[in-house]
Amino acid sequence: MRLEKCWFCSSTVYPGHGIQFVRNDAKIFRFCRSKCHKNFKMKRNPRKVKWTKAYRRLHGKDMTQDTTFEFERKRNRPERYDRNLAENTLKAIKKIVKVRADRESNHIKNRMKGNKSAERKRDAKELEQSIHMVKAPLTLEKDPSYTLPKIQEKVHLRSEENRMEE
Amino acid sequence: MAASKWFRAGRSFLGGLSSNSPGLLRMSREIAFCDLLSQQTRTFIQMGTNLKVADNSGAKRVKCIQALKGKKGARLGDTIVASVKEAAPGGTVKKGAVVYAVVVRAAMPRGRCDGSEVKFDDNACVLVNKQGEPIGKRVHGPVPHELRKKKHIKILSLAEHIA
Repeated sequence: MRLEKCWFCSSTVYPGHGIQFVRNDAKIFRFCRSKCHKNFKMKRNPRKVKWTKAYRRLHGKDMTQDTTFEFERKRNRPERYDRNLAENTLKAIKKIVKVRADRESNHIKNRMKGNKSAERKRDAKELEQSIHMVKAPLTLEKDPSYTLPKIQEKVHLRSEENRMEE
Repeated sequence: MAASKWFRAGRSFLGGLSSNSPGLLRMSREIAFCDLLSQQTRTFIQMGTNLKVADNSGAKRVKCIQALKGKKGARLGDTIVASVKEAAPGGTVKKGAVVYAVVVRAAMPRGRCDGSEVKFDDNACVLVNKQGEPIGKRVHGPVPHELRKKKHIKILSLAEHIA
């Protein structure tokens, strides 16, 4: 039994799933599900299709180089069965998967770091520039404190905040 | 999808009864070209199917006359009776000869025992004699393991790539 990788999306194909297409030059394409298969038939390049691993790796969205990937290289020589070896491998697989998942989530977190501050800046600017969408300019002149409502009446505040966010 | 299933069932039913299968085959091709997103219905190898010949026995193209075993038609690994339509000038087999052949590549997906499916790019066969031994000396292109179960071990040994 061997767990293959889908040619299009790079997810694992478990036994009993998917379609294998053998081209006449003897290149085998494995697909995990009909979505990938249909995209292949449409001649789409997986490096350009946003949801595939190939695109994500190419555009730096996901981790590319890591030591945890070395463990999963394809080996063609069958190993002689050794109970201890099998047991240790199973334990190791669990640990490696956990380590890899942690590292990947860290990578994504690092990538998304500057977001919050950028969002706050954008919102502040919008508040400044588009306040006329929320309150008419006459009422603004009458009472300048209308720009940043503090906790006055709870119902009012919530609806105003919603409008601000829009 | 329901429409294509009906179409597939209807086609194979008709193929068994009458001999206007080449017309229907052409029709399914045309429908596929019109709507790129619809799946091209791949069916059995029946009377009238043109197959490529994947060995060096002399024949180039062959037309199926009869699928032995199988009401609806031949699949991957089955034997067929065929008529040679196109032959290379100096081969053992001549044009118009009636030969037996084993299907080594079929565009129709074939279920494997582990649950997955395999399909090839084209329909191809290897000419055999009545005992099941290949006439040619070489086999071109990939062949499936299904031949092992069907006892076509000689063909497997001549193959350059086993899918």
